[in-house]
Amino acid sequence: MPDPTPTQPPRPQAVAQPLPSTPSSAGAPGTSVISKALKITGQLESSENIQIDGEVDGDVKGVHVKIGQSAKVKGTVSGEEVEIAGTVDGKIEARKVVLASTAHMSGDVIHQDIRIESGAYVDGHVRPENAKPKTTASTFKPAVLEKTGTGAA
Amino acid sequence: MFALKAKPASRADAAAPVSRLSPGLLVRGRVETEGELHIFGRVIGRIDAGILFLAPGGLIEGDVVAREVRVAGRLIGRIFAPTVDVGDGANVQGRIFHHTVTVSRHARFEGRMPWRPPSFFENLGQLPETQP
Repeated sequence: MPDPTPTQPPRPQAVAQPLPSTPSSAGAPGTSVISKALKITGQLESSENIQIDGEVDGDVKGVHVKIGQSAKVKGTVSGEEVEIAGTVDGKIEARKVVLASTAHMSGDVIHQDIRIESGAYVDGHVRPENAKPKTTASTFKPAVLEKTGTGAA
Repeated sequence: MFALKAKPASRADAAAPVSRLSPGLLVRGRVETEGELHIFGRVIGRIDAGILFLAPGGLIEGDVVAREVRVAGRLIGRIFAPTVDVGDGANVQGRIFHHTVTVSRHARFEGRMPWRPPSFFENLGQLPETQP
């Protein structure tokens, strides 16, 4: 006779869903995301990229630093490349600087390459780092006047 | 003052964006968010969060105040959270003030785990001094 008791399927065990795993370090460098709900009071230093949409009261140092439109940073922002679409009250030191149209910058900008979009607010000293003059003493060569004959009659 | 207030977890946490501190990041100071925070890097200081996940390889040195804490990395300090999960590979040194706690058999823990009622976390203003 068949067993009247139907076999119960195995009950799935309740397990917590794993949170997103860390990305592989062998690929592109990771990006820290400071969301608009996050506030940091202190120093940030990263060997990777940083995207800030929240609030930071302190210095920020990364490779590619992106300050979002809703972000507010009070401190020095430094990196290889810095893009600003939000508010920065402090100094920027980067090889490449991009100030978007929504940027609000109060402080000095030290750069080697800069792009400022129409609409950006900049209140500070914008100057290139290690600026090279176009003409130097070593490259300047005065014109040499050729001596002609005395023209004796 | 950051006092944990009981509120519907799913809607509140779903609305707040998730923040992520990558492996190469070091933060010295205080980190505050009502939402979810994933730490793969290092934080030296106090953390106030809604939901906190300390990933493998991550490091926290300081106090953590949150509604829910999941530890899979290294933590030296104190945790104040109603719900705490110490998972595989976690290395915790300090105190875990909790209402419910889960510790994996593959976790490493050294310290104390004082139980507290939910009201303790709702009225948490000034953090208590660590008892000797």
